[in-house]
Amino acid sequence: MATSRSQVRIRRSADDVWAVLRDPMRIVEWFPGITGVSMEGDVRTIVMASGLPVNEDIVTIDDRLRRFQYRITGPLPVTFHLATMDVIDIGTVEAPESLLIYSTEIVPEPMSFVLDGATSTAIAELARIMDDHAEHHETGEHR
Amino acid sequence: MGRRILFITTDQMRYDAIGANGGRVARTPVIDRLAAEGISYDRAQPTNVVCMPSRATMVTGQNVGTHGVWMNGVPLPSDSASVARVLGEAGYRTALIGKSHFEPLLDPFLRFDENIHAMRGETIGSHGFEHMELATHGAVGFNHYARYIQQNHPEVIGGFFQVLDRELEVSGLPGGDTGAPQIKVNPIDPEWYHTDWVARQTMAWLDSIGTDEDWFCWMSFPDPHHPWDPPASEMHRVNWRDLDLPENYIEDRAQREAVIDAKPRHWRKWYDGEVVSNYEAPARWVPATLTPDQIREVNAYAHVENELIDEAIGRVLAHLEAKGWGDDVDIVFTTDHGEFQGDFGFLFKGPYHVDALARLPLIWRPARSCTTNRDERVTRPVGLLDLAPTFCAIAGITPAEWMEGKPLPISDADAEARGFERSLVEWDSCQPDGTDVHLRSILRDDMLCTMYRPGTMHDGTEGELYDLVADPLQRVNLWDDPARQGVKADLLADLFDNLVESTMELRPQAPV
Repeated sequence: MATSRSQVRIRRSADDVWAVLRDPMRIVEWFPGITGVSMEGDVRTIVMASGLPVNEDIVTIDDRLRRFQYRITGPLPVTFHLATMDVIDIGTVEAPESLLIYSTEIVPEPMSFVLDGATSTAIAELARIMDDHAEHHETGEHR
Repeated sequence: MGRRILFITTDQMRYDAIGANGGRVARTPVIDRLAAEGISYDRAQPTNVVCMPSRATMVTGQNVGTHGVWMNGVPLPSDSASVARVLGEAGYRTALIGKSHFEPLLDPFLRFDENIHAMRGETIGSHGFEHMELATHGAVGFNHYARYIQQNHPEVIGGFFQVLDRELEVSGLPGGDTGAPQIKVNPIDPEWYHTDWVARQTMAWLDSIGTDEDWFCWMSFPDPHHPWDPPASEMHRVNWRDLDLPENYIEDRAQREAVIDAKPRHWRKWYDGEVVSNYEAPARWVPATLTPDQIREVNAYAHVENELIDEAIGRVLAHLEAKGWGDDVDIVFTTDHGEFQGDFGFLFKGPYHVDALARLPLIWRPARSCTTNRDERVTRPVGLLDLAPTFCAIAGITPAEWMEGKPLPISDADAEARGFERSLVEWDSCQPDGTDVHLRSILRDDMLCTMYRPGTMHDGTEGELYDLVADPLQRVNLWDDPARQGVKADLLADLFDNLVESTMELRPQAPV
């Protein structure tokens, strides 16, 4: 089994970040290379930019821990997968900040090569989008 | 009107693959003629022995620590430094046809420009090129050659070796007469094979260029990189049963293993199948099982692929003559890295900085219209790092200040006068299981020295030191020889004086 972890600090409150992450449909807003998403019950289907669909079971949406977990179930050749996103409050009222940790456990190991770089890029993109929003809030701009 | 530049590369070709460098099997008269009419480099090295870092060095003229592409799967940003962009700004038309591999090939998220353009069938260039038509080793993936096959000859797709298995591991499926890994009898018509396609598309692009225009064309053949699956109709050219074993294959097993055991421990661990420290080597293949006949057969396939490349180059050169450009084109021929092909009992490549992987064929045939040396051999160390500034020099442009090499020397005297003393090669790998390996090598004064930084397999004390005059096959590791400690210390000091260190995070974006 391969394990990987990416993390990023975001200059927004944990509640703000969690509001984006807890909604399975909003992944297309922040994950580069995912161009489509749909939900049926607890099953999310994303569509990669190459056209490849991926089915995922949404395992956990824990508002208390601000934890989101999902499993890839197909058609990628994955025999085990669990991805966990944790949002941790590390800021103050005056200077809100949160830490997003995105962990993945996967079999077979080479799939880690495919997903790890993409997820690390994605959370950096999420931080850029939310930091950008934060800057505009600070300067009184709204989008 | 200046000098046009045809830059020809192969992928994973050994120094001794061509007749001009002593190859005795594959007939390569076209490449040999380029050598006879130009300058051959006996000690040309890449900055890294896998494709992406090496190709990033070719296009940027930078060391790995500067361009940042430390391993396959790590993209070179499409707006990076590029000699093609420099030439384009100077009025050159620019194209890359064949294998670029500046960006990861295997990315279902489709995050990289080259894959996006190819998937759409667009020939828009990236990385400074105005035109790109891309190919890789088979008929699948996001590249123009795969589209060509899928649209015109879909029935032949299955004839190529399938590189990845169901678990996304690199396959070592046996084939051929001997059960050698990654060999496949491919019934494809040679005209549809990627070697011919690359030459054909190159000629088509050249036909689109005005007679008076300057141009820089990188014609990049995917072969003889594994898998070895050339058109079956051409296999009559070389009968594997007739081949001698490679000079650096030690037939006596005990002797072979003693040589391997004197090298740092990852050599033996890969040999025994305990560790694979390069994703491209088949995950479940054990080098110790490699038989002499399998080596012969792999070599036969590689020789056939090299003959096909030579003939394809010949067709392109004839086309240039027919267009009246014959006297005004500089031709540079090289490859991105080498291949074991049986040396020490291995195939493929990995963290091993020996001549099999790091000594490259490199030939510069200056335009006939200019006066320079002919039939010259340069023995001083040069590198692919020097290509980008060489292209600038050919075009009459001052090399960009961000280029870290120098225009290639035209003789040993020129090399000595301009300080060609050393060549550096690097390796960093980090596998999904956590295995990491880090090598830094220097070639200088006919000595080859490799130090191993701490990783999961090395504690930082291991290394390799070879006297290339006394031991050209690099069988006697002098790293711990008390008599060589002074030389070793001097080489290591020089290595670190000239190494461009980087602070890159070792996280690939894709497998390859």
